[in-house]
Amino acid sequence: MEIASANVICLQVSFCDLQEILPFSSSIGFCKHPLVSSATQRCRLSGEPCRLSVVVKCSLPSDPLLSRISISDTGVGSCLEEFQGLKFSRQSIGDEKWDGMLSVRTTGKCDNEVYHYQLNLKESASARRLTRLPSNPKNGVKFSGTEVILSMFESADALVAEINCFFQKMLMLKIPNVAYELVVERGDAPGSQCEHVFLANESNPLSFSASNLECLKSSIEDYVLKHGYKKEHLKVGSGTAYCTEGHQNTGWMMDTVIAISEISEPISSCFRTSGAKSEVIYFKDFSPCSVSQSSMKALTSIDWRSFGLTLKSIANQGGYAFLEWEGLPPNTRIDIILHSYHKQAVMPSAKQKTQLDRNLIKRAVKLALDDLKEKHAGVLLSAHALKIRSYAPDLAKTIAGLILSSNDSGFQGECFSLIGLQCQGVGGEIVEDCIKKKIISVIEMNDRKSHERSEDVAPFLFEDECLQELDFQEDEYEEGVGFVFLARLYMRFSQLDQLMLKPRILSMGFLESPAWLPIVYWQLEIEHGYSLS
Amino acid sequence: MEGKRSGSQQHCDLLRKIREFTRAIVEELSNGRSPTILIDRFRNYCTNPNANCCCSYDLSYGKEILTFRKESHVHRLDILLRVLLIVQQLLQESRHGSKRDIYYMHPCIFSEQSVVDQAINDICILMQCSRHNLNVVSVGNGLVMGWIRFLEGGRKFDCINCPNMAHPIPVQVEEVKDIVSVARFILIVEKESVFQRLANDQFCNANRCIVITGRGYPDIPTRRFLRLLIEKLCLPAYCLVDCDPYGFDILTTYRFGSLQMAYDAKYLRCPEVRWLGAFPSDSEKYCLPQQCLLPLTGKDKRKTESMLNRCYLQRDVPKWRSELELMLQRGVKFEIEALSVYSLSFLTKEYIPSKIKGGVHI
Repeated sequence: MEIASANVICLQVSFCDLQEILPFSSSIGFCKHPLVSSATQRCRLSGEPCRLSVVVKCSLPSDPLLSRISISDTGVGSCLEEFQGLKFSRQSIGDEKWDGMLSVRTTGKCDNEVYHYQLNLKESASARRLTRLPSNPKNGVKFSGTEVILSMFESADALVAEINCFFQKMLMLKIPNVAYELVVERGDAPGSQCEHVFLANESNPLSFSASNLECLKSSIEDYVLKHGYKKEHLKVGSGTAYCTEGHQNTGWMMDTVIAISEISEPISSCFRTSGAKSEVIYFKDFSPCSVSQSSMKALTSIDWRSFGLTLKSIANQGGYAFLEWEGLPPNTRIDIILHSYHKQAVMPSAKQKTQLDRNLIKRAVKLALDDLKEKHAGVLLSAHALKIRSYAPDLAKTIAGLILSSNDSGFQGECFSLIGLQCQGVGGEIVEDCIKKKIISVIEMNDRKSHERSEDVAPFLFEDECLQELDFQEDEYEEGVGFVFLARLYMRFSQLDQLMLKPRILSMGFLESPAWLPIVYWQLEIEHGYSLS
Repeated sequence: MEGKRSGSQQHCDLLRKIREFTRAIVEELSNGRSPTILIDRFRNYCTNPNANCCCSYDLSYGKEILTFRKESHVHRLDILLRVLLIVQQLLQESRHGSKRDIYYMHPCIFSEQSVVDQAINDICILMQCSRHNLNVVSVGNGLVMGWIRFLEGGRKFDCINCPNMAHPIPVQVEEVKDIVSVARFILIVEKESVFQRLANDQFCNANRCIVITGRGYPDIPTRRFLRLLIEKLCLPAYCLVDCDPYGFDILTTYRFGSLQMAYDAKYLRCPEVRWLGAFPSDSEKYCLPQQCLLPLTGKDKRKTESMLNRCYLQRDVPKWRSELELMLQRGVKFEIEALSVYSLSFLTKEYIPSKIKGGVHI
């Protein structure tokens, strides 16, 4: 299958370009219609190299707004139910632009002929009839594919712009076995045909067996390389969340890839203009999709602060979500791609209508952020951890001081050996630096762990800061310190409800005698593994 | 936590503990774990209304856990380690430093004296020692006069030579030795003004005694010195405070120790101390005019109500508690000086001698 020809124009695609183009495109809504995405799915299902072509043929000069569109793919043959189940969807294509008529030619690999049908999507799905037209024989040749033809009252230029943009986005999914082709025919004269070919695997080929998530990650790396960056400028985190109903996995899942690019100096103007904003690129069923209102809410409700990010605003521009950050370093940008799909590659008609869990986005984004933190030390530290980390130099200096100022050389040797320094006589700065790194590493790890535990572990039970809050005088003290402390404990006691421990503790007489506290503490640790450290 | 061993041995032990503490932190960090500092919590009373508590000075009743997970903890650790470094240097060089000296070594970080004080307390608890063991001393605030003579680090305090002259209470009480006294009792007074009244009235000449004041809430040297005198001289000790909630609180600090220093209370409290006055019932007994009685403020009442809940009052000194309840019922307070309403020397000539002689103390 030849997918490139002499007059191919390969488009260099980047997210930057997309961010500039997308808000002003997709006014027609053609690409929002599932006709194109179902063609993509047929290609994916085939598992072989496939071509998805969209041919836009301009009509006669007398009627410049009538365009004939052919969507053809070399994927598996169409299951006709998918067309019967399709909705006309006025939301995607205007009523006045399309009469709803579709001409479908399709054949499976094992079929002997190419079937031809006609149907009108404007008829309700239940009353819709497929009109079978004469088939074409395949004469023993084994191939499969589908072509759908429709006519629209729309200028070819507008359609081409939209389809162009759509394919550029599709490339981000980097489906390894699909090449996209856009052909514009402006008449019968030689040279009036223009083709655009979009190759997903152009720069960094992936095997056909690559997972969808790997494809998304690879796509982000391509993007960085295309902008002249080196891989070390890029930090990528990814995660997949699964949608469940009760305890059942519905099969729906969401892949998320988040990329943070940091550079010492901006290279392109794109970075300067869009650094503080991130577009959330959203795919559903292997097609670009606009971000719904509930998804916007989900994005807003993510605890970005716990990752050191401050969300200034979130905007929905033409179905695309833009997150604006506050206090993001000037040469840092964040890109987010979300993709929800069913884990089994199913034909669109057979898909269940499932309301995607709003929390799915939250969970998927959090997983990707956690992954970023896990893989890249010091990245996305919470504001809380940053504050704690600011103590590291002072702590390191003091601990180094305690070691170095000791008059016990044996002790010094032990400490040096513990921190991995071979011999004595090393400079104070080296010791300090070494300890500082260890402190920072612990703080960063704590921050990662706190994310993991935050959802299922109650705060410490017996920590208490009342002493710190009191104004201590040398030998004076405020009456009621004991009350404050106990009150705190009683407050924390209420949290035990979550752990179903309250009845146990009540039976131990906790409330009657605070002297039981150490025992309660011990019991909790022994019986429930409830760590207080 | 005060040990009986020699000073140099104690210093060695302390330095060893500090090294072990530091090593444990380094080891945790090297293993990629957050250091976990457990600090025992002590109290010298509870507020259990059943009065069947088993409060103990020796046992902690809980622990504070400091880790790298909370900013407030890390801040506290930062302070603690800074102070510990200073203490290590003091001990290694056998020098002493005051809490104020320590504060001024990092005033921006410590922000206020109480922060240093808390760190010192934490270190004492961690190292299981008393503050003076750390070679940290406070500027002495207490005064002493009367029939006593002693040496402090080679310096002679001869109060007997002039029994009505005030001397500062020595700061390094552990250095006090060769105590000689012919006194019959020790009188502790809350305020310096009363101390001066006694000095002016030649109280010690007329009554062979030792008079001590902590000038308000007593500091550690004052309490340790008092405890030392009671131990060495086996004399009765009477305490004279204002008849108000603060006077009462100061009285309990002498006898039971303070909550803040509860970890060391067993070495600082003086269970022998008896309350000489002024009792709330004294206003009637001595017919104090109404203008000498001040109404308790809201804060006074809250403090009094709160103090009434302390377990040791019910258990050890129920009569004190009854007087405190009376103060709350009457809703008035008065200063010791109010007893001078009829005669300037009433306090020294009548009130104190008659109470001691008649055993009117509780």
